[in-house]
Amino acid sequence: MDALLKLDTHLENRHAQLKALKDHGRKIIGFTAGGYFPEELALACDAEAICFIEAGNNTALMNAGGYTCRWFDPFWRSQIAYLTSGKDPYYNIADLIVVPVTDNHVRNFSNVLGYFTPEKESFVFGVPHVKDKIALDYYLKGITRLRNRLEEFTGKEITDARLKQSIDLCNRERELFRQISLLRKSGEYFIQGRDFIKLNHGSYLADKEFMIDILEMYLREIKETACHPKGGPSLLLTGSTLAHGDSKVMDIIEECGGNTVVEEFAECIRPYHETVDTEGNLMKNLAESYFMKRVCPGWFRPGTERLNLLIKLAKEYNVDGLIWYQLMFRESYKVESFFFPQMLKKEAGIPMFVVESEYDAMEAGPMRTRIETFIETIKR
Amino acid sequence: MDNRNLFAGIDVGSMTTKCVIIDSENILASTVIYTDAEPKKAGVAILDSVLGMIGANREDISYAVGTGYGRISLDFFDHTATEITCHATGVRHINPGVEGIIDIGGQDSKAIKLKPDGTIMDFILNDRCAAGTGRFLEVMARTLRLNIEEFSALYEKSINPCPVNSTCIVFAESEVISLVAQGNTKTDIAAGLHQSIARRVGNMAKRLGIAQNTAFVGGVSKNAGMRKALEDYLGIVFVSLSVDPQITGALGAAVMARGRYDKQRQ
Repeated sequence: MDALLKLDTHLENRHAQLKALKDHGRKIIGFTAGGYFPEELALACDAEAICFIEAGNNTALMNAGGYTCRWFDPFWRSQIAYLTSGKDPYYNIADLIVVPVTDNHVRNFSNVLGYFTPEKESFVFGVPHVKDKIALDYYLKGITRLRNRLEEFTGKEITDARLKQSIDLCNRERELFRQISLLRKSGEYFIQGRDFIKLNHGSYLADKEFMIDILEMYLREIKETACHPKGGPSLLLTGSTLAHGDSKVMDIIEECGGNTVVEEFAECIRPYHETVDTEGNLMKNLAESYFMKRVCPGWFRPGTERLNLLIKLAKEYNVDGLIWYQLMFRESYKVESFFFPQMLKKEAGIPMFVVESEYDAMEAGPMRTRIETFIETIKR
Repeated sequence: MDNRNLFAGIDVGSMTTKCVIIDSENILASTVIYTDAEPKKAGVAILDSVLGMIGANREDISYAVGTGYGRISLDFFDHTATEITCHATGVRHINPGVEGIIDIGGQDSKAIKLKPDGTIMDFILNDRCAAGTGRFLEVMARTLRLNIEEFSALYEKSINPCPVNSTCIVFAESEVISLVAQGNTKTDIAAGLHQSIARRVGNMAKRLGIAQNTAFVGGVSKNAGMRKALEDYLGIVFVSLSVDPQITGALGAAVMARGRYDKQRQ
């Protein structure tokens, strides 16, 4: 696919491009994964927004040991390692790091950020775990404070016109992701799971307008390419986090003949099902979309909204099985992994399988055995 | 000269490698050797060794299937399959009435629930650590200065097993040393360790709803103390198998080899 090659080239040069922009006075806003940072706010004050989505390297993970205990989610320990290493190009280039605190693992990262790297400018705000009016107001206040900080930091006022323009841009990106995903649902086109993930990850680092061009190009290419769907079981892949660089589970699934046709992750996979309304109070619309409409992660109470979505996706995408990719020590997901298989079997009639990871090279062998056997058992 | 139309199944595990040779009807030979961190060498050596037992050579093998963690190290297999599928095939070949399998090997433990047709309905493997494996038992026996047979025999001799709470092999070793220092007998500590593994592995079986008509296989199934501890915890008696329970994975691979060969010929 030319679109994917073009994206690769863009990402290879992206850091140098950001550096050049920074040298000319453009602010670089880094934000942590989780989907609660409205990128529109950064774009509306003419800043570049990049998300920290890299993980999967066990050596890097071990380096976090000097700053936190081991019993934490490996993705967030990886972020601590990259942040404190002083060598990560994206953490280094960010002028301001925005951290929407969604759970204890993210809070741990924000503590390290404040305590061990005080030289880094940061903005931390909380994300509630329930969806009600009070929580929505709290989130709205959080992103309003963020807006004020961004205006002060960049020296650019976020006018309604600029914000609307940014929302339109991000809506277009979300809409393109949705269209691509819907092609997978139709079953008439073959889109490799890893390609969809690659586009999704790329969108967290690429220039927004460039990314939209890439997605449009990819969509055209897929539609123009006569391609029969691949045989082998179709899978729904879910979990808390699917980081850039953490391709082990995807690789094994594909090597064993499976094909991921839909994903659901709280971190590092962009929520694309909902767009932001562009009429009326735009800040309220952002809060409504990013907090209320977006399907909540596993740590929300109650967690039924996400579990119901998984059942819905399993049915709509006609999958043969669900792989639950569990990162070690992400306990809210671990708890659900014990009772959800029964729900899924009852409601969608398909089996679920749990694989755990701590980004450890030695886990690949047992993981392969597990996934291979699961795929053997669900072959039609 | 025509070959003898033999079928080979080789299970290259983390601690031991197992090989079974069958013909169109019977098991002709089998053996178990240590893998010794050289899966490729072990796979080649065991095949030649078992063929030597029946006066055959590699040209007599019509089809070979590999299984176990080391299956990817060998290049002479016609097909590879996971050990879960192979254990299921092997056990059902011996006893078609088996509905569940518990396998404790050197590196992992598994619970497998079978459908009436013998295919896999569901399975669970142990978490990402050595707890509940043959390796755990070996380390604990060594900590108590016992060989594995002596260690195993102590389970039924204890009338007051020491509760062992740690499931991590490293913490459990420390806990055992503490229990020794507190004056507990080796018998009671060994019994407590057996109960600890029985709980851990037994809970996997319980989650799958495995109960009656269950076979216990893998190297650890030859440990009489562990077998009794699991039976006590689950409140069942394991079905008996007419072959060495350590070779059921290799046997399943051999049976699969024969099936695939026959299918190709049709």
